[in-house]
Formats: sequence, C-alpha cells, structure tokens
Amino acid sequence: MSQAMAVTPRWAEKDSWIAAALFAASMVALIATQAPVGFVRDESVYFVAAQSYARWLEELFRTPGQALTDAAILRAFEINHEHPALMKMAFGLSHLVFHEWLGVLKPAAAFRLPAFAVASLIPALSYLLGRWLYGRAAGLWAAISFLLVPRQFFNAHLACFDVPIAAFWLLTVYTFLRAQREERFWIWCGLSFGAALATKHNGWFLPFVLAPLGVARAWFLTRESPAARTWLGRWVGLGAGISLLFAILWVTQGPGRFVGSFTALSPAAALLALGAVGTVVTLRGLYRAQQSAFRAVAPLGAMALLGPAIFYLHWPYLWHHPVERAAWYFDFHATHVHYAWFYLGRLLRNPPFPLDYVVVKTALTVPISIFAPMVFGLAALGGRAIAALFDRWRSLLPSFAEAVVAVNAVAPILIISHPNVPHFGGVKHWFPAMPFLALLGGMVVAGAARGSVAALRRRWPAVGLPALAVPLFAVLFAPALIATARNHPYGTSYYSELAGGLPGAATLGMQRQFWSNNVTGVLEWLNAHAPPNARVWLHEVTGLAFQEYQLNGMLRRDIRAASGPWDAEIAAYQYHQEFREHEMNIWQAFDTVTPVTGLYLDETPQVIVYQRR
Amino acid sequence: MPNPESAAIGRWKQAERALPLATLVVLLWVGIGALYFQLSLPGRLPREGNYRDVAATLAKEALPGDVLLLYPWWIERARLFVSGTPVVGYLGSDVNRLSGHARIWVLAQPELPRSDRAGFERKFLPGRSPLQPPRRFGTLELSLYRNDFYRPVVFSAVQEYRSARAYVEDPGRGRLDCPFDGKVHRCGEAEQLRVAAEWHELRYEPRHCLSMHPPGGSRRIVAEFPALPLGDRLVLEAGIVGEHASGRQPELTPVRAAVEDMASGARLLELAISPGQEEMQRVERPVSADLPVALRVWVQSDNPASRETCLELSSDRAAAR
Repeated sequence: MSQAMAVTPRWAEKDSWIAAALFAASMVALIATQAPVGFVRDESVYFVAAQSYARWLEELFRTPGQALTDAAILRAFEINHEHPALMKMAFGLSHLVFHEWLGVLKPAAAFRLPAFAVASLIPALSYLLGRWLYGRAAGLWAAISFLLVPRQFFNAHLACFDVPIAAFWLLTVYTFLRAQREERFWIWCGLSFGAALATKHNGWFLPFVLAPLGVARAWFLTRESPAARTWLGRWVGLGAGISLLFAILWVTQGPGRFVGSFTALSPAAALLALGAVGTVVTLRGLYRAQQSAFRAVAPLGAMALLGPAIFYLHWPYLWHHPVERAAWYFDFHATHVHYAWFYLGRLLRNPPFPLDYVVVKTALTVPISIFAPMVFGLAALGGRAIAALFDRWRSLLPSFAEAVVAVNAVAPILIISHPNVPHFGGVKHWFPAMPFLALLGGMVVAGAARGSVAALRRRWPAVGLPALAVPLFAVLFAPALIATARNHPYGTSYYSELAGGLPGAATLGMQRQFWSNNVTGVLEWLNAHAPPNARVWLHEVTGLAFQEYQLNGMLRRDIRAASGPWDAEIAAYQYHQEFREHEMNIWQAFDTVTPVTGLYLDETPQVIVYQRR
Repeated sequence: MPNPESAAIGRWKQAERALPLATLVVLLWVGIGALYFQLSLPGRLPREGNYRDVAATLAKEALPGDVLLLYPWWIERARLFVSGTPVVGYLGSDVNRLSGHARIWVLAQPELPRSDRAGFERKFLPGRSPLQPPRRFGTLELSLYRNDFYRPVVFSAVQEYRSARAYVEDPGRGRLDCPFDGKVHRCGEAEQLRVAAEWHELRYEPRHCLSMHPPGGSRRIVAEFPALPLGDRLVLEAGIVGEHASGRQPELTPVRAAVEDMASGARLLELAISPGQEEMQRVERPVSADLPVALRVWVQSDNPASRETCLELSSDRAAAR
C-alpha cells in the first residue's frame, strides 16, 4: 500500500464517472430525506442572514454605487457576522432562485440546496482520494461510509457550516496532494483553502496542518540540490521571520493598538506586502532550481496568498474596515462562550474539559462497523511508521500521501481535544477529520478483502475481489444503514452500538440531543391537538425557527409562539440535563407533572409536551 | 545451518499473509455483532400497551402514599400513562430514600442496553424488602417493595405554607410584610421576593419546595409557622435552584438558612450553602413530640444574585412496625 503513491495517478475516466455518480447519489439521498429535518437554532439565523445577503446582491446588481457603501453593507451583513459569508450567500441565492423566482422548492429546501451540493463533494472526493491511495474498493468504502454515520448524514442536510468546512478541508488536502504531482494544481489548492476560510474559522488551522508536511517533503526532495535547498530555506526563513515580527508587534503594542495601527502604511502592512512579494520571489527561485520541491511547497504559497485574499474579497463586511472587523471575528471565536454539556454523567460547564472527550464521543457516535476499521487503519499506519524505524522494515514506511491523510485524520480531533476549547456541539466541530478516518477505514476493509482473496485463491483460483468485498461491505454497512434510517431525522441524538444505542448512552449519562430540531417529533401532535390560536412554547426553538416551521407547512399558522411556560397553553420541553429547571417551571405554571405526549427515541425522553389544565 | 534471519523473515511473511484473513474475521465479527444489536434493539423496548397494563395495575393495586421509582432513572415515558401515583426518576434517584413513602413500586426495563440491574439493586435494596414477586408486562418489570426508611411526615412547611406569616426582616430597622394572595406570599414589587410552594430542580431532582429568595444584605426573608405538632425529628433542607447552584464566581455569596423557636428565640437548625454546592443541604435534630412549637425559618445572603433558594422544613416520626 505504501507504494501506491509511487505510481503516477491515472485519473481514469471511469473513476471520474464513479465520483460523479457518488456526488449525484448523495444529492438525491439528501434531497429525498430533507423534508422532516428540523431547523436547528443556528440554521434559523443563517436563513435570515442568507436572505439579507441575497437582497444585497440584488441591490449590487441594480444600484452598485449604493450597495457598495459601508452603510448598505452593514445593513445587509451585520446579521451573523460571526461567520464568513460564502455559504450564506449561496443559501440566499438558492432561496432567491428556487423558491422566490421559480417557486419549485419550499423555503427550507431552497436554502439547504447548496449545503447538499457541498456535502456531496465529500463522497466524490473521498472516492477519488481513496481510489488513488488504496484502490477502488477503498475509495468506495470511504465515500459511502461518510454519509452512513447518522450524525454526519443529519448535519449534511443543514444550511450550516460544519459539513461544508469538512468538504472544503478535504478539497484543500486533495488538491494539495494532487499538486505534489501535477502542474498548476497548487492554484486550486490556494482557491480551495480560500473557500475553507470563507466557510468557517476551522479553515485557519489548515496551514498549520499542511505546512510542516509540505516543507518536510521539500526539504527531503532538495537533499541533493543545494540551490533548491537555499531557495527553500529563504522561503521558510521569510515566513518564520515575518511571523516573528508580527508576534513582536502584537506583544509590544498589545492587541488593541496592534489592530488600531494596522493601516495601509503601517509596519504590519509592510510586513504583509514583504511576505507576499517574498513568497513569489523565493518560490519562483525554487521553481527554477527544482520543480518537484517547488510542487511540494507551492500549494502552501498559494494558500498563503490566495486564502486571505479570498477571505477578504468574498465578505463585503470586511471591505471598508478589514482589520478591526476581522480582529473582532477572530476574537469572537478565540473567546467563545462555553455551553453546558452532559458527558458521562456530569455536566461540563467550564474548562478545563476532559482530554478524552473527543475520542470517547467519536467512539460512541460512529457506528462501530465503520469506527472499528478507522481505528485499525490509524493503528496500522502508526504501526508501520514505528516498524519503519528499523532497517529491515524500512519499506513499511507510510507514503507521503498516507502521512498527509493520517495527520488530517488526527489534527482536527487534537485541536478540539484541547481542554480549553469549547466542547458543545456534539461531534460536528471535528467533522474535518472524518473523511480522512473514513479513508483509513477503507484502507483496512479493502486491504482485508484483497488480502483474503489472495489467500483464498490458492485454494479457489476463481474467487474474485467483488465476491468477498460486496458481502463484506454489506455486513459492515447494514448496521449503519439501519441505524441511520431508524434515527433520521433526529441526528443529534444518535449513539452507536458501542454506547448501547440511545438507551445505553442515556444510562452512560451522555447528552441526548442539542440544537432543538427534535421538536419536529411533536409538531404533528400539536397540529392535531392544539386549540385554535393556541399559545405554544417550544423550549429552545428560536422565534425564527418557529416561523420557519410555519412557513414550510410543518406547524399550523394559527399557533402563536409563547415566550415561556407562563404565557403558554402548551409547552414542549427539550430534555437536556442542564435545563431540568425549565421542565419544573412548566409543572409549576401548568399545575401538572403529567405530560400529554412526547418524543421518546428508543425510550429516551427527547421532547416532552405538557398542556395547561 | 539454517539462517535465523531468513527463518524470522519467513515467519513474518506467514504473518503478513494471515493478517488480512484475521482482519476479515474481526471485521465480520464486528459487523455481525452490530447487525444483531440493531435488529434486536426494537424487541428490547416496551410497547405502549405494556405501559397501559402497568398503569392499570397501579391504578388497581397502589395505595395512597405509594411511589413509583423508575429504573433506569430516565425511562420517563411511564409518566405519560401513570396517574395517581407519584413517579420518581432523575439522575441520582436510585439512592433516594423516599422516606415519605411506605411502599415503593419499581418499574424497570432490565433488557435495555447497558442495564445494570445488579448495580441498581446494590444501591436500592438495602433497607427495602420485596412484597411481591416481579411481574412482567412485555419488557417492563414491575416490583413492589416495603420501604424500611419510611418515616411518616407530621409537619411539612410546603404543605402548611398557606398558614404561614411571611415577611422581609431588616435587622434593627423593621419588617416588610408579604401578604398572601391565595397562592403566594408576595413581598412588595420584587417578583423574586416571595414565599410559595413551587416545583424546582435541585441537582437534577424535582422538588416541591418553599421558594424563599434571599433579599440581599443583612435582610432575611422569613416564614413563621404557628404552633403545629411535631414528630421526633426536625429537618431543614435547602438548596440553590437550577444551574445557578454550580456557579463559583467570586461575587456570589453563601446562603444561610435557619430555623428558630419563636417562643424562646433559640436557633434549632442552621445551614449554609456555599457557591458551587449543587446538592440540597440538610440538617436535622431530634425534637420532642410532646408540645407543639411555633417555628420561624429564614434565608439570607449578602448578594442575592443567582441565589434563588428553595427549602423544606419538615418533621417526621418513626414508623410503627
């Protein structure tokens, strides 16, 4: 397997068709299953932001002079400036075209359509990367298994950023790897990175993951070319020097003054310009000295130049005040509040959070028949890396591409594992790791099938790979498929066989749900039983989401939103361990402790409905 | 002489050939195990009819004062069906003594994944004796126990709060009366200054308790209870409501609660709740059941922010055997 990268990849037409088919199949699956998916808290805000951004784009088309003023930009982009605008613009445009102009989709489906498309990139890219690294079977495993993880399948439906950032992270790594072999692919890497930055702040970690790998490869490749090594050293030195000078400016001036003094003619701006020019000059020198080494680091250069440029250019909110507004953005995420989170029987409210959280949560939320190959794959690569330290097993050394996959499978998990990083949000914050773990899973499953076929052929020469791989895939995918089907559309509640399913997770003391979308489980009852014009309190459901349920025909339009149990006739409480007092408030306000209905998934209370006596 | 190194390489080659087969076997074992889990899970869950049968049994056989305890604690779907018998199930309810109840019905789902019946029984059984063999209703199991921790309640402030006199006391300055409006003793304009029996969460446990928010500074919120008969023990329990209990911010101050004999002014019970203490705090003392005693209970905290307090003052006696 380690030799796979040694062969120049032939991007056979057949594989492109398979990738396209996987993309299309994912789109179909997501569109076919989107209707019952509830509107998560964040999504309801993104819907409004998306509409606002789309209106601005219309204004830009009609009266560009007016639209480009900071006042007009602020009016449109002030809402949800905690996140960049790329996906929200796509959501808004899709809503404009498919709902408002053409009228072929309901509002929510129209907003979500771009999310489906970006999510569908993951199976396609996973296949191409897996095919390249470990063969077609491994690629298919990686592609299919991603959407058979119920929490990933659920999140792929949402007009949010967690799956899109995983897609653009994967795309950046994919183009980074192709750029190692193919001319000009480094430009695509830079553009992909720009898309990642324009999607979610996780993207800013990509250079820290890829740069050591690219530089190490270039360093290795230039071992026999002093001129190339000199140019490489200059480029690395330039980057290190500029980073150091930025750090000195930051420390000596303090964050406030640093941001305030960052003008067009400031030392910081000069450093940025020096970095950009220096990157072009040194990489051009490296290109002339040794093209293979250039290809190793050119994607990083493209990321450095194109990424921030795209980040700035795509987001009108930054246009008039780039530094202070970008600084606010970074500060918002660096100092994000912590929400309470139930984990192994205790409520995590503040850091430091348990170091094992991310690993345990992943183990308990990925179907075990998909999770086990991931673990075996990671262990196999680790084992091979250790074995390769000995001369006789040097050939087991993982290839560069395998190292890139392994590092990207681990890095997002390590980042979120830091005890001071917010731990709410289930597993979505380390989704960027999952396609790479799926690739490692594919390596194991396909390797086991291939190796077993080879062994069996000694006795039964007619045995072919499909004869073993197809039933093996079926046995391993079937439990995940059943779980996904049973769990849909309540993706944030899913727990794997290792947890003992939802009941086992409840006994373990794990967070049962979050984001409020499970309320869809009681909407039908409300539509059937709520008195006309009833005041209904949907606990945790935002006012915007409440309206969306009505706009999308999921909740009767005469039902009015109550602000709490005190002014409600019916209340739907979302079971969270940290919100128990809210249920007691309902008991108090309604003078009853007996619910009238509820959503109980495999017996676990999720949403409990009370009616005033 | 055979070369030991080539022998080792040969063994490695053999192992390398066996590895895919071994991996295949392990993967198949995992896949089939997972498939079994997914296919068998629905059969381990009760049907609605099972709950209805349990509810009918309880309606027929439960006595006033009985309680239904859930195992595992989170199987609250039972609350949809059971009426007339209080249902107890919260994180930690396995170790609740339920001393106000002479008999405990336990509704269990022992077939659920990660069910630890033995662990539950280790916590629950001491001090309880089975009165009937367990009965099955599908995957539900209903058992009845005698509760040896039972102590009949003679006096409960939550039950008697309507007859209390409530006020805010500012030592050395006077009192602000909290007139009773039929449900709540309200102390002026401030909504949080009230004395009322309310449902609140205290460390996950639903408690029907006396809401008495401290007014702040040296002021106290006070509830006076006229002379009532007592049992042989006086108990004061108090805690901070909801998520505020876990806060440890430096601006938070401890809550003090005390019970005094109105006639003598003697302090009978006192407790303090420090910031971060999430559990209901509890103090008790033996009392003489001979004479009714008029009591007053008060709550104070220098900084009232996030110190919403709920308490229960009760007196019980040993059960007749």
